[in-house]
Amino acid sequence: MKSPRELNGGARKMGLIFFPAFDWAITPTHPEREERLLYTRDQIFEEGLMDLPEVEEYKPRLAEHKDIARVHFCIPSVEALVTEAHLIAAGSTLVLADAYMKGEINNAFALVRPPGHHSMRVAHGNRGFCNVNNEAIMVEYIRRKYGIRRVAIIDTDVHHGDGTQEIFYHDPDVLFISFHQDGRTLYPGSGFVDEQGGPKAIGRTINIPLPPETPDEGIHYVLEELVLPILEEFRPQLVVNSAGQDNHYTDPLANMRFSAQGYARLNEMLAPDIAVLEGGYAIESALPYVNCGIILAMAGLDYSNVREPDYHPGRFSMSRSMEANITGTVEYLQGVWDAREELTAKAVERAGPFFRRHKNIFYDTDGIRERQTESVKMCPDRSCPGYMTIDTDAVRGYGQSESGFGVFVPLFACKSCREEAREEYEAHKTDSRYNYIFFQEKNRDEYRLYSTRMHNERVY
Amino acid sequence: MLIGIDVGGTTTDAVLIDEGKVIKTSKVPTDHDHLLECLLTALDEIVRGVPPERIERVVLSTTLITNLIAEGKTDPVALIIEPGPGMNPEGYSLEGEVQIVRGAIDYRGREIEALDEDQVQKAAVKIAERGYRKVAVASKFGQRNHAHEERMRDIALGTIPGVHVEMGHRASGRLNFPRRAATTALKAAAMDEYRKFAEEVAKAIAGRKIEAPVYILKADGGTLPLATSVEHPVETIFSGPAASTMGVLALTPAGQTSVVVDIGGTTTDLALILDGSPLISSEGARVNSYLTHIRAFAVKSVALGGDSRVRAEGGRVAIGPDRAGPAFCLGGAEPTPTDAMRLLNLISIGERSLADEAMKKLGEDLGCSAGEAAQKVVDAAVEMLIGEIEGMFLAWEEEPAYRVWEILQKEKIRPQNVVGVGGGSLGLVPLVAERLGARGIIPENATVANAIGAAVARPTLTLTFRADTERGFYTVAEDGTTGEIRNRKFGQKEAEEMAKRLIIDRAGRMGIEEYAAEAVLTASEVFNMVRGWSTSGRILDVTMQIPAGLIPEWTGGGRG
Repeated sequence: MKSPRELNGGARKMGLIFFPAFDWAITPTHPEREERLLYTRDQIFEEGLMDLPEVEEYKPRLAEHKDIARVHFCIPSVEALVTEAHLIAAGSTLVLADAYMKGEINNAFALVRPPGHHSMRVAHGNRGFCNVNNEAIMVEYIRRKYGIRRVAIIDTDVHHGDGTQEIFYHDPDVLFISFHQDGRTLYPGSGFVDEQGGPKAIGRTINIPLPPETPDEGIHYVLEELVLPILEEFRPQLVVNSAGQDNHYTDPLANMRFSAQGYARLNEMLAPDIAVLEGGYAIESALPYVNCGIILAMAGLDYSNVREPDYHPGRFSMSRSMEANITGTVEYLQGVWDAREELTAKAVERAGPFFRRHKNIFYDTDGIRERQTESVKMCPDRSCPGYMTIDTDAVRGYGQSESGFGVFVPLFACKSCREEAREEYEAHKTDSRYNYIFFQEKNRDEYRLYSTRMHNERVY
Repeated sequence: MLIGIDVGGTTTDAVLIDEGKVIKTSKVPTDHDHLLECLLTALDEIVRGVPPERIERVVLSTTLITNLIAEGKTDPVALIIEPGPGMNPEGYSLEGEVQIVRGAIDYRGREIEALDEDQVQKAAVKIAERGYRKVAVASKFGQRNHAHEERMRDIALGTIPGVHVEMGHRASGRLNFPRRAATTALKAAAMDEYRKFAEEVAKAIAGRKIEAPVYILKADGGTLPLATSVEHPVETIFSGPAASTMGVLALTPAGQTSVVVDIGGTTTDLALILDGSPLISSEGARVNSYLTHIRAFAVKSVALGGDSRVRAEGGRVAIGPDRAGPAFCLGGAEPTPTDAMRLLNLISIGERSLADEAMKKLGEDLGCSAGEAAQKVVDAAVEMLIGEIEGMFLAWEEEPAYRVWEILQKEKIRPQNVVGVGGGSLGLVPLVAERLGARGIIPENATVANAIGAAVARPTLTLTFRADTERGFYTVAEDGTTGEIRNRKFGQKEAEEMAKRLIIDRAGRMGIEEYAAEAVLTASEVFNMVRGWSTSGRILDVTMQIPAGLIPEWTGGGRG
């Protein structure tokens, strides 16, 4: 099957949605506030980028609740968890996805907020400034609507894209690669090399922790030596850049040394089909220049004149030890990728009939502590990823607790897994240990939420 | 009495209005080489026998600048631009002599790189050697800090003999540097020719003992006193479609949503009035290949008119884009939409037997009768117009939005009226209206609606105020003024009050103080600037406007 890009040979424009949500903030002084994209607006409008024949600006729309329910188990409900701003940010990615899949544009950039890559499948509230996962919502929408199967998501935010990783952890058709500042030195404290995917999807999650102060050179090395060769082998039908801008050398929340030139070059090398903005909080010193560079690069235009006022080439360089650290990580991960088939076979054997793991998840923004047990059926059918159940219990603030049980059936699950999963859902409707029972049936695009207290069911 | 004159591409139309009623009209062919004479001929025809002291207001709309630019008859201009970091400046589609100089200002108006004055000096010498006498200087973000543009102007003035220099921040305060540079260049290019024209008009009118104030119509449907308009020559382009739209506004019930259909010989201009407000294009007008910052109504020009060439193509009717006219029924050589409409008795001009002959010929190519061919032509024309009108509403709905409320409130709207003006509208407008489920209106005096629109349009004015309290200053984009803000507590209320004071001042300087009270707040936004978790200042953006509208002499008078 040809990728949309091959089919889109005729389109030359990049699609752009700029949605700065000038009337939305988490709180007035939060980094995720009205002002965040103000100077970016000034710069890209003053450049006249929207007038370029290579750029087509689109208008955002609201995502539907069903688009959210396709990915998330929202507690207590989709309606309660998302604001209109979230629906618009997610909806923007869907507008661009449609334009891209219909061949109107060559590639696309959703320069939107609020962000989403820390949101996991179960969403009790806001963590890492994210309520719902824009990229996952877009990818699942595209896979559902256009029948695409193999997708690669490259998370270039400085923070580990733990939400996206978690959502696709067991999906062998979604390659998730994240490079980020080492989790031992930065939120969310995960994204280590041994997080490699579920038993049936080993090597489909690749984490590249980088030492603090890694400059352009280091990230480009990782891209060239590891990411691009893997992409070439994986042959995705869609490449998504989960495009954070906080690797920048002036970002107030992280410690990397990436420049606007570095970001532009990264997007030129990676050539994503669709990029979606994530973090980036150096709202004056980085974002106006980084976004200008990314737009020019994706539009195929000369970005060599984009630079921060205090930047000069060669300003940052790598030390020997940093270089050794990065090459070591890259070599190790190349090994994992190359051995992914054997590693998968071993992991499946080790798991037995069900693979189980326990997780503690902290929602920094909303102050929620969640405990989860995830259980995946290791279906004997090798091509079936199996269905999954999640048992969740979350404590908000001082003591108010919400619990849920979710059943998730992936798109390519076999018939017997689908039937078994539905029985699980029906059986748990009377299980009073849980407040909410969820059901996601990708194959039938059917999403249900049952409240055991109210005894009612909502179908999305 | 009010006078409106529209010097259009084909005809020059004039009206005399007394107590809300059109009492005299005139129409003379436009001679492109003698626009002033056309204007005066049309004027003289309607003022004959009218005591000059009874005339209270004269408004002119003219294609002068549009023509000069289209024909390349404006003065050559050299540009000196300071692009700073960003796009490769070679990628800007600016034509002619462009000198690029080093230096940069950022989005908050801070100097991030000093202006390279030697380079400006050298550029000016080159420009002088090449014989330019008009220079435009523009700096990226020059509207937020005028210092570099002013310095470039001073160097140019000191180096190039007899030069006239225009600065970017005086041409527009809106974001978009390439558009601002182009607008500045056009302004410099058109200035002298326009001034000459304005002076001749003033003299000719004074010679007729008319002492009433004289205004010129702009592309945004607003008027400007002739004397002040010499500072804003390019704003007078595309005033023709603006005149027609204002005419429709004047001739239809207030507050309604209408499509304005102005069908001429070879083109049809479409414009929208939404809930009684003409729709302004969200971007500035395109002038030839230049994208500019000139505020203009969103007008769509379709290559379809009464004289368009009609032929069979692959068994179907094709119309335009070229002209065949005059119509066969009016002595022309080829079939046109006018012939089709004549045969179907939708209009009564021309010889019906000739129309029949024209349609018969077309029918042979299409394999049908003359009557069927005529119906197919009319259907095709209506289809084209419907498609374009729906496209315009869709484009309006699909305009990008940057705020949550904008996305939530934008609803789908459809027209209540389809209003025909211009010669060719009579036959098609009722059919288009029927298809859109709207009321078809051909107002009385439809053929001079443009001149009526000019006569009764009021001034428009925009003021873009921006304050940066952390840096302690404000700018007014359109005036090129900057001032200090000392009050650390300067907030939204203070900003709005200040903008209101400033627009009243500005109206005074423009000679339209009596309309200052009409100014409304169109946008007001505050961004709290947070540095290190505490508020360090605010950015306040306030826009005030006197929007396009009708003068009270009309709305209070005999309007239907």
